[in-house]
Amino acid sequence: MQPFSLSSLIPLLTFLVPFVAASAAPAADYHEQLNLKPLPQNSLLASFNFRSNTSLPEFEAHNFRFFPRSLGQILQHAGTRELHLRFSLGRWDAETWGARPWEGTKEGGTGVELWAWLEAESDDEADHKWLTLTNALSGLFCASLNFIDSTRTTRPVMSFRPEGDHPNTTMANMHLLHGVLPREVVCTENLTPFLKLLPCKGKAGISSLLDGHKLFDASWQSMAIDVKPVCPTGEECVLQIEQTIDMVLDIDRSKRPRDNPIPRPIPNYELKCNTTKSYHADDTCFPTDSLNAQEWTLNQIFGKSMLGKCPLTDSNVPPVCIQAPHTRDVFTSMDVTELKEPGNENQRCYLLPNNEEEFHLALPFMPRDGDHPKTDADEFVQPATPLLYAERSLTGHGQEHGGVQAILTNPSPDAEVEFVYMESLPWFMRIYLHTLKARISHRTGSDAGQSLRDDNDVIKEIYYRPFLDRQRGTQLEIRMKIPPGSTVFMTYDFEKTILRYTEYPPDANRGFDVAAAVITILPSNSTAMTGGKAARMSNLRTTGMLLNLPTPDFSMPYNVIIFTSTCIALAFGGLYNILVRRFVGRNEGPEVSLVKLRKKLQDAVQKFKGRVQERLGVAGKGAKKVEGKTD
Amino acid sequence: MTKDKMSFQATAGTAGLFVVAAALRLLLFTAFPGLPNLLTGRVEISTPVTSFKRLQEGLFLYNHNVNPYDGGVYHQAPLLLPLFSLLPDPSTYPIFTYILYTLVDLLSANALYKIAESGEGGASRLYSSPRKEKRWNGYVVAALFLFNPFTIATCIGRPTSVFTTCAILHAVAKALSGNIFTSMLSLSFATYLSMYPLLLLPPMVILAYDRTYNPKVPKSLAQLAGMCTLAVSASLALLFLSSYALTGSWEFLSSTYGIQLTLTDLTPNAGLWWYFFTEMFDSFRSFFLGVFWLHLSSYTPALTIRLRQQPLAVITLLLGIFAIFKPYPSIADTSLFLSLVPCFRHVFPLLRYSFVTASVVLYGTFLGPAFYHLWIYAGSGNANFFYAITLVWSLGLSLIVSDLAFAVLRDEWEVERPEMRGKEIRQI
Repeated sequence: MQPFSLSSLIPLLTFLVPFVAASAAPAADYHEQLNLKPLPQNSLLASFNFRSNTSLPEFEAHNFRFFPRSLGQILQHAGTRELHLRFSLGRWDAETWGARPWEGTKEGGTGVELWAWLEAESDDEADHKWLTLTNALSGLFCASLNFIDSTRTTRPVMSFRPEGDHPNTTMANMHLLHGVLPREVVCTENLTPFLKLLPCKGKAGISSLLDGHKLFDASWQSMAIDVKPVCPTGEECVLQIEQTIDMVLDIDRSKRPRDNPIPRPIPNYELKCNTTKSYHADDTCFPTDSLNAQEWTLNQIFGKSMLGKCPLTDSNVPPVCIQAPHTRDVFTSMDVTELKEPGNENQRCYLLPNNEEEFHLALPFMPRDGDHPKTDADEFVQPATPLLYAERSLTGHGQEHGGVQAILTNPSPDAEVEFVYMESLPWFMRIYLHTLKARISHRTGSDAGQSLRDDNDVIKEIYYRPFLDRQRGTQLEIRMKIPPGSTVFMTYDFEKTILRYTEYPPDANRGFDVAAAVITILPSNSTAMTGGKAARMSNLRTTGMLLNLPTPDFSMPYNVIIFTSTCIALAFGGLYNILVRRFVGRNEGPEVSLVKLRKKLQDAVQKFKGRVQERLGVAGKGAKKVEGKTD
Repeated sequence: MTKDKMSFQATAGTAGLFVVAAALRLLLFTAFPGLPNLLTGRVEISTPVTSFKRLQEGLFLYNHNVNPYDGGVYHQAPLLLPLFSLLPDPSTYPIFTYILYTLVDLLSANALYKIAESGEGGASRLYSSPRKEKRWNGYVVAALFLFNPFTIATCIGRPTSVFTTCAILHAVAKALSGNIFTSMLSLSFATYLSMYPLLLLPPMVILAYDRTYNPKVPKSLAQLAGMCTLAVSASLALLFLSSYALTGSWEFLSSTYGIQLTLTDLTPNAGLWWYFFTEMFDSFRSFFLGVFWLHLSSYTPALTIRLRQQPLAVITLLLGIFAIFKPYPSIADTSLFLSLVPCFRHVFPLLRYSFVTASVVLYGTFLGPAFYHLWIYAGSGNANFFYAITLVWSLGLSLIVSDLAFAVLRDEWEVERPEMRGKEIRQI
C-alpha cells in the first residue's frame, strides 16, 4: 500500500515544487541591511539588521530553511512563543546622540537580558520551561544564562507586551518571564554563535563586517535576537527571527591601527582646541565638540571589508544605507547604484551588484575653511530629541543605608509623556517602598525654575512585589506621567544586607551589579492601547549600578566560630559553675584534688630543694679543691 | 491616716517623676527632629525583628493591600499593624507616635514601680534575705529605668521591643499582685510579639504560685502550672487566630518567628549570632542553629530549679541571659534587664566584679558605635572590629549575670551560715 502511494505521489510532488517555492518566497524570505548614521562628536552609529521568516507549519514540521535549526529546536522544546534576548555593553549618551535606534526596542541593559512568553498551564510549569530555556540558551550563546535563577527572574506586569501576533487561545496560557544578568561581560564568544545563526554566517553580506575586536571596543553596543510570530493581514502567519546589532563607534578609536592599539597622547600641535574660550592659550586647551571631521572608510572602522552581498537576500533591497546630509560627499566602489528615497533626502542607500566583489564606502575629509567651508550640519543629521531622558544613581554613603535617585526629564515643550518605570532589584537590596518620593521641577509655567516640590501625582500606579530573602528579588513597576518641560526626581531608600560569606563573589569588594531600570514609554494617545494590538512602544534603559555591600572578613570563619564558642562557653560555664557548686568557707570542706596536688607538688619541690642544696654543699667543696689544683 | 498620707506623697512623687520623664522624652523628640530617625537606623537599637522603619514599611504595604509577610522586610507581629494604622501617618504627624512610645515607657515604669514596692526582691514566700531592709523603693527603681540612657535611646529609636518590655514587666507585676490570668495574658502578649518570653513561663508560674499561696487552702503547684499553661496557650491561640483573620494566611508565622529560628537576616546587632552565622559553613548551619537555641533555653530549667525560692531573681537572670544570647538582641533588652537589677539592692555588697562589669559595659557602649563607624562608614576597619566589640559586650553582660547569680546564691547561703558573713568563701 505504502510504496504505491509514495511512488504515485512523486510525480505530483515534482510538479508542485516550483509552485510551492514560488508561493512561499515572500513568506520565507531573508532580509539584511546595514544603516550607518554619523553622530555628533565624531561617532558613528552602525545598525545591522537581519530578518528571516519561516511559515509556522514548516517550523512545526521541523523544516528549517532560513530559521536557525539550533534555536528553533530549543524554542519548540521549551514551548516558547516569543523570545527576546539582548547582549549589551556601554552607555547610550542620549544628550549627544539623541533618540535611540529602533526607539530603544532592540536594546537591553548592560549585560544579558532575556524575556520570553512561554506557553504553560501553570506558573510552576512556566518556571520549569524557563529553566529549560535559559539552560539551553546558555549553551547556545556561551553566556551564563543558566545563572538566571528565581532571584533574578521577574514576571513584569505593565512593562512588556507581546510584539508578535498571537491567537487568543494561546494568549490565555502565555507566561511572561524576564531575567537579567547585569554582571555578564558580553564578549566575542557571544558574537560567534550569534553570527552562526545567520544564513550567510558572516562569510558574505553585511555580516562579514562584524568583528569582535571592533564590536566590543565600541562606545555602546547591543546585540538583539527577537523571535515572534507575525501574521500579516490576509496572509499566512510566519515565525520571524530578527537579529540586530547596533553599535556606536568612536571613529578615532576605530581607525587606530591594529598593530598599534596603545593610545598615546596627541602632540600639542595636533590638539583641536576651542579657540573661543577666554582662557585659551598655548598651554591650555578646551577640546572642541567635533574633534575631527567625519572622515572614514568602511574598511578602516570595521577593520574588515564587506565581501559582496549575501546571495540569499532579495536583490531589490539595498544592503547598505547611510543617513547623512545630502551635501555630504560619499564615495563608493564601482558598479554600485545609489538610491535616494524621494521623501527622505538624508537617506542614501546602495544597491550592490550580484557578485562577490568587495564593497567600499568612504566619507572623505571635507575642509572646514577655504572656498566652500563645511560645517557640522554638512557632516551629520542633527539627532532627534528623545521622548525622555533618564538617569539613575545611588545616593548616600557608607555600607549600611543607601538611596536610589532616578532623574527623569521630559524635554518636550508641549506634550506630556507617560511611561512605566521598572526596576528588578536583587534581594540583598532591601528597599523601603514607603520612602518612595517623587519631586518635580518645572522648566516652564508659573513656577518655572523654582525649587523642587513634592508631587506624588506624577505617579499613577505602582506594582510592587517585595523581595524574599534568597528566593526572589524585588520587582517594582511604576506608571508615571510627566508634564511637558519638567523633571521628576524619584527617590527611595534601601538598606544593604550583609550576606553569608559563601554568597559573596570572589571579588566581593568590587560590589554587586544592579540591573538597569527599564522604561517603557507608552504611546501618547491612550486609544491606541485599547485598540486590540498594542501600538508601538518605545523603550529606554538607564545604566546599571554598582552596589557596595558590607563584607565580613573572609579569612576567618574558623576564628569566628572559635571566638564565639569560647564566649558562650565562658558565660555558660561561669553561670553553671556558680549554680551547681556548694559554698563553703575558705578554710572548710574537703580538700579539692587540685589543692592536694599542689601540696604534694610543693612537698616534692621542698624535698628536691633540700637534696639539691645538700649536693651543692658537697660539690662546692670539691670545686674549691679543683681550683686550688689549677692555681 | 499616716499611711494614707505617705502613699499620697509617694503617688505625687511618682507622678512628678513620670511627668519629668515624659517631658524629657518629648523634649528630645521635638528639640532634635533628626534624632528619632538617626536612632532608628542604629543597629544597636533596631534589629530586623523590632525596627521602626521596617514597621513603617509593613504598615505601608498593609495599608496598600500588599501582604507584608510576602516580603523580606517586615518580621513583626501582625497585630501591630492595625494598632499603628489607627495612628496618623508617622512621617507627617510624628507626635502621635512619640506620645505612644512615651506612654509605653511610663507604663513599664509603673509596672516596675509596683514590682519594686512589693519587696519580692528581698523577701519571697519561702525565703527572706537577712539584708532585705536595705532596698530601694519603687520611686528610685522607676527613676533608674526612666533615666537610663539605654531606655531613653530605645524610646527615641522607637523599636517595637518596648511593647515586649512593657508586657513582660506587667506580667511580673500582675503575678506579684496575684492576678494570675492577667499575668499570663500579658506574658502571652510578650510571647506573641517576640517569642522568647515564652521561656519565662516556669519562673512566672512559680512567682504567681508563691504570691497566691494560702496556707489554709494549699493548692498544688502542678495544678496551677497546668492552668497557667492552658491560659497562655489559649490566649496565644486566640492571638494567632486573630492574626490569621487579619492577614488571611499563616505566612506571618514563618516570617515573624521563623526568622528568629533560622536567622535568614544577618543584619549586624549587638549579639553573637549574626557574625557567627555569616561565617558559618553551610553544612553546619542548621546544626549550630539548633545548638544556639538549645543553649538559650537550657538556662530556664537550671535557674528555676536552683533558685526555686526566689522566682523574681530567676526572671531577672533569664532576662539578662536573653539580652546576650537572643538571636536579635538590642540595648532595649539590656535596659529591661538592668531595670530589674535594682530590685536586688540588698545583694549589691556581695557583687565581686561591679567595677570590672561597669567598665566593660561602658567600654562596649562607647567603642561599639565607634567601631561600627570604622567598619561601615570610614572603611578603615573591617567587620572584625564590630565583632570584637560585640564579644566584649556579651562577656561583660554575662559577667553581670553570673555575678548577680553568685550574689543571690551567697545571700541565700548566709541564711544557713550567718557566721560566714563577710568571710572569704569558695565553691566546691
